[in-house]
Amino acid sequence: MTGKYFGQPVLRLEDKHLLTGRAKFCDDIVIPGMLHAAFLRSDYAHAIIKNIDVTEARKHPGVVAVYTAEDMGDYWKIGPLQVPPPFAIKDAQFNARPLPPIAKDKVRFSGEPIAIVIAESRYIAEDACEDIIFDAEPLPAVIDLEKAWEDTSVLVHDDLPSNMAALVKQEAGDYEAAKKQADVVVSKRFVADHVAGAAMENRGFVVNWDERTQEMTVWAGTQAPLPLRSAIAGRMGLVENQVRVITPYIGGGFGPKVMTSQADDVLLPWISMKLNRPIKWIEDRRENFLATTSERDQVHHCEMALKKDGTILGFKDVFYHNTGAYDPYGMTVPLNTQTHTVSNYRVPNFYTEIRMVFTNEMVVTPVRGAGRSEGVFVMERMMDLAAKELKMDPVEIRLKNLLKKEEFPLNTGVIGQDFVVGVLDSGDYKNNLEKCIQMVDYEKFRKEIQPKARKEGKHLGIGVVAFTEGTAVGPYEGARVTVGNNGKVSVSTGYSTQGQGHFTVFAQIVAEQLNVKVEDVRVITGDTGHFHWGAGTFASRGATIAGSAIHAAAVLVREKIFATAAKFLEVPEDQVDLCEGSACVKGHPEKFISLGDLAGKANPMRGAVEADVKPGLEATAYYAPPHGATGSGACAMIVDVDPETFKVKIERFVLVHDCGTVINPLLLEGQIQGGVSMGIGNAFYEKMVYDENGQLMTASFMDYLMPQATDMPRKMEIGHNVHPSPLNTLGLKGVGEAGALPPSPAFCQAVEDALYEYELDLTESNLNPSMLYEFRNKAIKR
Amino acid sequence: MAQLIPIKVTVNDTVYERQVEPRLLLSDFIRHELGLFGTHVGCEHGMCGACTILFDGEPVRSCLIFAVQANGHQIKTVESLGSPDHMHPLQEAFHEKHGLQCGFCTPGILMTVVPFLEEHPHPTEDEIREAIDGNICRCTGYEKIIESVQAASEKMSSGK
Amino acid sequence: MNVEGEYIFNGPQQAVYDMFNDPNALATAVPGMQKMVQVDETHYEGAIFLRIGPISAAFEGVLSLSDINPPESCTLNIEGKGKAGFAKGVGRVKFTDLGNNQTKLNYSGEVNIGGTLASVGQRMIDSVAKSMIKSGCEKLQKTLEERCQQK
Ligand code: FES
Ligand code: FES
Repeated sequence: MTGKYFGQPVLRLEDKHLLTGRAKFCDDIVIPGMLHAAFLRSDYAHAIIKNIDVTEARKHPGVVAVYTAEDMGDYWKIGPLQVPPPFAIKDAQFNARPLPPIAKDKVRFSGEPIAIVIAESRYIAEDACEDIIFDAEPLPAVIDLEKAWEDTSVLVHDDLPSNMAALVKQEAGDYEAAKKQADVVVSKRFVADHVAGAAMENRGFVVNWDERTQEMTVWAGTQAPLPLRSAIAGRMGLVENQVRVITPYIGGGFGPKVMTSQADDVLLPWISMKLNRPIKWIEDRRENFLATTSERDQVHHCEMALKKDGTILGFKDVFYHNTGAYDPYGMTVPLNTQTHTVSNYRVPNFYTEIRMVFTNEMVVTPVRGAGRSEGVFVMERMMDLAAKELKMDPVEIRLKNLLKKEEFPLNTGVIGQDFVVGVLDSGDYKNNLEKCIQMVDYEKFRKEIQPKARKEGKHLGIGVVAFTEGTAVGPYEGARVTVGNNGKVSVSTGYSTQGQGHFTVFAQIVAEQLNVKVEDVRVITGDTGHFHWGAGTFASRGATIAGSAIHAAAVLVREKIFATAAKFLEVPEDQVDLCEGSACVKGHPEKFISLGDLAGKANPMRGAVEADVKPGLEATAYYAPPHGATGSGACAMIVDVDPETFKVKIERFVLVHDCGTVINPLLLEGQIQGGVSMGIGNAFYEKMVYDENGQLMTASFMDYLMPQATDMPRKMEIGHNVHPSPLNTLGLKGVGEAGALPPSPAFCQAVEDALYEYELDLTESNLNPSMLYEFRNKAIKR
Repeated sequence: MAQLIPIKVTVNDTVYERQVEPRLLLSDFIRHELGLFGTHVGCEHGMCGACTILFDGEPVRSCLIFAVQANGHQIKTVESLGSPDHMHPLQEAFHEKHGLQCGFCTPGILMTVVPFLEEHPHPTEDEIREAIDGNICRCTGYEKIIESVQAASEKMSSGK
Repeated sequence: MNVEGEYIFNGPQQAVYDMFNDPNALATAVPGMQKMVQVDETHYEGAIFLRIGPISAAFEGVLSLSDINPPESCTLNIEGKGKAGFAKGVGRVKFTDLGNNQTKLNYSGEVNIGGTLASVGQRMIDSVAKSMIKSGCEKLQKTLEERCQQK
């Protein structure tokens, strides 16, 4: 459904300010009298706090105040949980241990804040941190997931009998019965490694309490401005309209910035009010690695039962999920894993069990991919294993089991992160793969290119995988659309933006309905002073959930334009037409009223108006889906592996994707490409490594490697399928995380195929040359 | 408080005289002393390239040098390239090719590419990849950045 | 992190052993060591300034000796703390008389580090530790020669 603006590759409205260095990010905010904060963080991963002596720090010239948990008195409170426990799932067990704002009595991860210094400059605040004497008695650290589940000798939370954070079992069908019918059963243990969101802009928080107006303004690089505002208001004993959270430009989100009730947003508002001074805190990169949430880190024990012909009968997955030292974000990540292990394929019997473990590491919350990556990884690897076992081609076994167009909607019987039973709404998963192998020319690669390369001593391999991306979950988002007296349109939504291009795609949706120029639509995202309902930016839900709300509001405004214009143009409503920027009489473009004038007329200043009048050309609307919309795709990768150095070059990268109706094809490509780069990063560059004492050994860009320009394939070849979602008027599905999902399993399959002289068995999601070397050394030579 | 050292630096053709602490990073000086916030800081250890500026015409990472080392030198930041109404052809190309998403890495990339294009008015794709290899972008996957630089080179050499 | 290795001293076993139990000799041998004072028979307190990759910072700590078995072996325990983190280690040192006025030192141990030291410096710490041990041993060799000459 392409229109004048909708579906067009409209260039971004936000670019000019960003490109010229005029966009305002969090650290660009300057308020007269502003103080600066720095945290002292624990070097120990697990320790009993003996004493924190801040006397010297307080005396440091330029220091205004220093606080520890002790100094906070009654204001020090644990939590709350940001995401509730999944009690919608039968017999789910969950031990809620939300985040303390700052450590008291015990530290549970290295990087946990133990004191905050407020000073005239950041340099001074950091200096004074060094004057604090922190005395603690170190304890052994809980790191190994499988061990921690059994071993109760060291407990992250001493008041619990074990390190179990949660136990959730779900079953659709009857796996054990299916297994009895099977011709073959394959099983394997997999590790999905720990990765960082690593947005280029670190987190930041600026707060100003205005004693005279009794209002607090917060600028924060957050993905969840409304939950943040409500949390702050609640803690400070303020009513919501006394707190305004504004998201300035944000340098990338990717998940971790969704967190609230952390040290910064708990402490700084309180201190700002106490000192009656504005305060700024900007995280540095090391803090970001240590103390901003990160993700993945699961160990899976999978089992698949199949018929001889490759038909899947059942799948079983028992997996350990690291939640870190606390579990404030509930079980979003592992639930996403549960729903994404089997969602591609026809799996009549599925047993899945989450064993969520507390460890002495930073808290785990979603990072682009958000549990789906792990699910897709293990499922795709199991498909490869089954194919090997049955001596089938990896593509053939997939085509046999992938869901087809006619099978939707399909109830999965598994409850997801949104606490509703999953329904796959639409798509043609099988066709995604068919299209993908066509684009990469699978036949030709197998029959000509690869044999020829092998003859020449080259190690070329191909990997082909499929995936789904559950997106656009509830609960809801909302928006208000208003035509201004100058004829320009303003849109405000509680949704916040971190670079996705919302200013443009939301404007396109409105411009299409109201027939105004896209650049005449001004979008405000994530400013609670402008719109104060909404949940936040996560689960690839912006374009779909906020976009649908915006669309609904724009439709209402359009109707209002017709009704109001009919009166002023003195024609029946069905005779009114929208010309660009005005309402006119059908067939008589000379008889018109500009939208600006009409907006003025819709807001009478004198005279009697109807009792139920709603002034202005304005409407507010909300959209709440019954369940998420599921995007899908397939991916093929051809790699060239150097068997000596284990350098891997991605020769070709093909991705076919279906996210329903497309609002802006240019921006869609950008989203996919960005996701792919993160996926490739995960596959072969990025890995957060904690040592056995809980020390993070990769807390800088020197050790945490991210893909650079020369690491990326020359071209990401992207194909599209369009199966509009029946769940919303526009037929939208999310896409933000899609690209990040398939690279790891495709990479593993391709590398195994390339190093054909060995029976390589890659069971870890994040590899690097030295790991490949080790895997190869373990492998049997064919 | 450490002693203050007087410095005189030319930034975007304006001469600034300031007293600074010897340990003040040039990136902090540009941002917080001069209020030129277009230069971004992503890592403060020289790895991401977000803070890249021109130092006597050469691209350098302003987080790796001290403000006092800039005494007597010429600095250019992204603010010197163009304004929202009159963008530099390189900036126009990034806009047209969707070469940015969150835009946080962008100023550093632009300042890396400006001198590169002066030396390589007709770069190959590989040369562009090499040129921006030290700049990390978490959002775009680089493909559209490379297209942007290619488009810019065409624009600039055709004098548009 | 594990460290392991050997070094051959030109000197008699007892003299080598004594040197390892002499805080002054150790203090001058360890690069960056700023002080080392004996607290009692087996405990020393010291301060050291270390440079590891991007980190340079002062550490204060305690060195203690145990399992003392002169002149053949002993165990060194170190525990240090500073602004850039902490380190804790045990090292077992063994001296074997090779005859010919030569003594072989075998060392093996384990060091745990935390804080900035671990999160930023770990990549370098291995090689820093190795080079510190190597130059430490070379220094001790010189001291040993001086001592032997004085005698
Ligand atoms: S901030 Fe200077 S290179 Fe990253
Ligand atoms: S555009 Fe966001 S980091 Fe490059």
